[in-house]
Amino acid sequence: MPSRKNTRRTPLTSRWMGLTLVPLYLFTLVLVLGPLVYMLVLSFETRADVWGVIPQFTWANYKNIFQPVYLNTFVQSLKLALLCTGLILLIGYPFGYFIARLSPRGKKFMTAALMIPFWTNSLIRLYGWIIVLRSGGTLDKVLMALHLTQRPLKLLYTYPAVVVGMVYALLQFMILAVYSSAEKMDWSLVEAARDLGASPAQAFFTVTLKLTMPGLLSGVILTFIPSMGLFFIADILGGNKVVLVGSLIQDQLLQAHNWPFAAALSVVLMLLTSLMIGLYKRVTHTTRLEGLL
Amino acid sequence: MNRKLNSVLALALAGSLALLSGCGQATSSSEGASSAASGDTLLNLYTWEGMFPQEVLDGFTAETGIQINYSSFDTDETMLAKLEAAKGSDYDLVIADDYIVETAISEGLVAKLDKTKLSNLGNVNPIYQGQFFDPEDAYTVPYGAGVQTIVYDPALVEKPITCYADLWDESLKDNLAVIGNYRVVDGMALKVLGESYNTADPAVLEQAKAKLLELAPNIRLIKDANTQDDLLSGEVGAAVMYTSQVTTACLANPDLQVVYPTEGVGFGIMAQFIPSNAPHSDAAHAFIDYILRPEVAKSCFEWMGYYCTNKAADSLIDPAYQSFLTLPEDFDGKTEMIQNVSAETEEIHAQMWTEFKAACGQ
Repeated sequence: MPSRKNTRRTPLTSRWMGLTLVPLYLFTLVLVLGPLVYMLVLSFETRADVWGVIPQFTWANYKNIFQPVYLNTFVQSLKLALLCTGLILLIGYPFGYFIARLSPRGKKFMTAALMIPFWTNSLIRLYGWIIVLRSGGTLDKVLMALHLTQRPLKLLYTYPAVVVGMVYALLQFMILAVYSSAEKMDWSLVEAARDLGASPAQAFFTVTLKLTMPGLLSGVILTFIPSMGLFFIADILGGNKVVLVGSLIQDQLLQAHNWPFAAALSVVLMLLTSLMIGLYKRVTHTTRLEGLL
Repeated sequence: MNRKLNSVLALALAGSLALLSGCGQATSSSEGASSAASGDTLLNLYTWEGMFPQEVLDGFTAETGIQINYSSFDTDETMLAKLEAAKGSDYDLVIADDYIVETAISEGLVAKLDKTKLSNLGNVNPIYQGQFFDPEDAYTVPYGAGVQTIVYDPALVEKPITCYADLWDESLKDNLAVIGNYRVVDGMALKVLGESYNTADPAVLEQAKAKLLELAPNIRLIKDANTQDDLLSGEVGAAVMYTSQVTTACLANPDLQVVYPTEGVGFGIMAQFIPSNAPHSDAAHAFIDYILRPEVAKSCFEWMGYYCTNKAADSLIDPAYQSFLTLPEDFDGKTEMIQNVSAETEEIHAQMWTEFKAACGQ
């Protein structure tokens, strides 16, 4: 199907091109669609008493989600995701914007400096935060040396520690998305706006912000969606005290052996995320989400 | 690469042997232990990673000529799923946790032991025998045991701790770590109320929930892996941890105090069993018997850091490890194991746990 667009190609090459897509379709069918269907079916089945599932249709798993204790985990996940996305936007947008304004060498240097830490495993970088935040850790030592605090603080295993970890883990997605958008921007438009009497702020809001919007939006989505699911950060830096949907699913799978309920939770989480993306697209009237969708 | 090749070879070997043993099954079961043991050349051992020191495994191969093909799982659930898929074949000897062994037995995936081939069976500490998952000891032999203890650093805690109820003390505010197993943590509240870990009474569980929520302000950390690091670094003053973590912590800081809660001690057993269609059942029996030798058991427990289930090995264990690998002399024997409960009770526990975690974060 995709080869139809290339009308100038000879039939033979286009047929070959079509064949090269077979692995992609196979991959999608077997490894993406297959598990999704399996999960959907599982979510309507009944759990067996101790182990396994009984193939018996039920709505109970979905009803169970409406228990206040489980609804609360969705609320908590959303709250944390929104907070982190907001913070990432505040830090990441100016960051990406100013990288785009650097000289070519400066850009190269900054993007490399951004990417190099991410060659390290994310778990290891999180453990780095433990060394910084733990009581008597690096941050405590600095604060005490500056005589700002007298004794070690309890910084690790708190809500702010989770937020710091999430922002740190996802910030580069926003920066790079905004940067790629601002990079392509025609800066003479800003100059024209200024020439026509716009203040720097006016020029920014009417020209720059609008033109970088696709990057900003894909940045928001690229950070919001993972932050709904990155429960291991809450586990490691938050001492597992912030209950997110992800950790609830894990508990249900590994401890409660309630696979149908875990599947139902996953289905709802996915629906919720798709809904957020849809809503976002509708509210912002955008179809151009750079680099995704 | 080499390892991969080995496992491919082992699989091929296992396959061909399974075919062979399929033909001769009727005769092999009636044969004596000695001749049969010499027949097997391979043992497919399936358990967590790092359950045996290498010299113990090598010693077995040197003595019997049976090669050990060690494959590992990360959770009990993975093990059961694989064993189910293989219909109780592929593996000759499995070591896993008590509750999952109970399920495996009820699913018909476990073979009865031939005790005539286990001459050292008498060495097992009876405290770990006849438990819920195998009341007649027909299917399993215990390997390591995990005993639920509280560990605290006297320098970081205001009052000494002797029981679970002490963990509720206000002086421990934001100073306590617990593992992420909800049956153990919910169980602490049940024990303080004088109830069983395995109660199915919703009213009692409701009371336990109220009690558990009162503990929330004291919880600094809920964590499964490397919790001992937080106790050693002073992040928390007291912790309820897995036994191997307690061992590591106590070796690093001898000042730490290990408490056997006076409300009663919970424990778990890692049990060895032979799957129903194990291709090399004789090799598995020979291995179990080898591990039951006191001097072999000693090296295993010292290395693994779990409680010794081999009474004959207790006295051989290095004095440095004695205090946390063997039960204390004056141990009153008030114990209870955490067992599988019904789906409804499990759901109450899961809700209690989710609510508790949320309360800890407030």
